[in-house]
Amino acid sequence: MDCSYFGSRLNLYVDGELGYLEVAELQGHLSFCPDCAAELARLSEVRGALAAWGEVELAPPPGFAERIAAAAAQEARPGQATVGRVVGGALEALDDALGRIPLPGGRTVPVKNVLGYGIAATAVIIQVERFLRRTRELKPL
Amino acid sequence: MPPSNFNKWATLPDPTPAELARAAAGDVEAFKTIVERYKGMVYSVAYNVLGNHTDAEDAAQEAFLRCYRKLPQYRSEAAFSTWLFRLALTASVDYQRRERRRPEPVEAPDIAGDEPELGDGISAAMLTAALRDLPDDYRVPTVLRDIYGLPYQEIADITARPLGTVKVMVHRGRASLRLRLQAERES
Ligand SMILES: [Zn+2]
Repeated sequence: MDCSYFGSRLNLYVDGELGYLEVAELQGHLSFCPDCAAELARLSEVRGALAAWGEVELAPPPGFAERIAAAAAQEARPGQATVGRVVGGALEALDDALGRIPLPGGRTVPVKNVLGYGIAATAVIIQVERFLRRTRELKPL
Repeated sequence: MPPSNFNKWATLPDPTPAELARAAAGDVEAFKTIVERYKGMVYSVAYNVLGNHTDAEDAAQEAFLRCYRKLPQYRSEAAFSTWLFRLALTASVDYQRRERRRPEPVEAPDIAGDEPELGDGISAAMLTAALRDLPDDYRVPTVLRDIYGLPYQEIADITARPLGTVKVMVHRGRASLRLRLQAERES
């Protein structure tokens, strides 16, 4: 067994994914191989720094809570279904499923935008038709 | 089950049932109180997943709006902080997968408090710069695993990647961070 064999197991070791026989074998090697022991120490150091960083609280930009409250105020009450939210939710699900549509020039556009504009355009057409029908109905008077 | 590195955030007091009920009924002021209490946690998660301020703020806002919409479905079998922490993680990962990330001038994050003790010769600026420069494919699973202590299976679920791929990405992310930190220390 050489160092590359044990070196490749260090990640599994720190993740607790080795069986106890494999752990014993690795620890045996580490006890007399300073190179692998140093490698383990460096790996543990990085993991220690990352774990410590996870406890650090970062400060959001000023006005953060106010902007979220304002955005929440634009929403319907939580849990209350609205047509907008049902359509929005369906589009979001489609977006997750379908991803983005490529446009010429290498840009992409989310499927939900295309469908969203389509639905908005349909709504406008229905309104215009309604209006035209009403004016037509009014004419004889 | 809360992730293993969750200790700090778990000490935040959960909102009272009355506060939750008011926010769930659409009382924006009550909701804002909740945002004020948890904004540090949610923003930190978003920043660590995304690596820059602009995207972090967008993703954190998205996380809170999802929280607002889902409040009526929140059940107290999970601590509120744990529940919101999960929402913040998934909103940030979804954001990363969906949006084109904006290049941003290099800017260290604003730490709420003293410079943390991260290890011999490792500063917060060094660590965040090293994380930010990792490819997304490495950074996101490495952040979830080693900053937040999530089990690999859960990382695979959240990122919609095969378990084996996630493990390889984390191993590479660690190796790349190790080399970068070592190089910076020696320079
Ligand atoms: Zn060795």
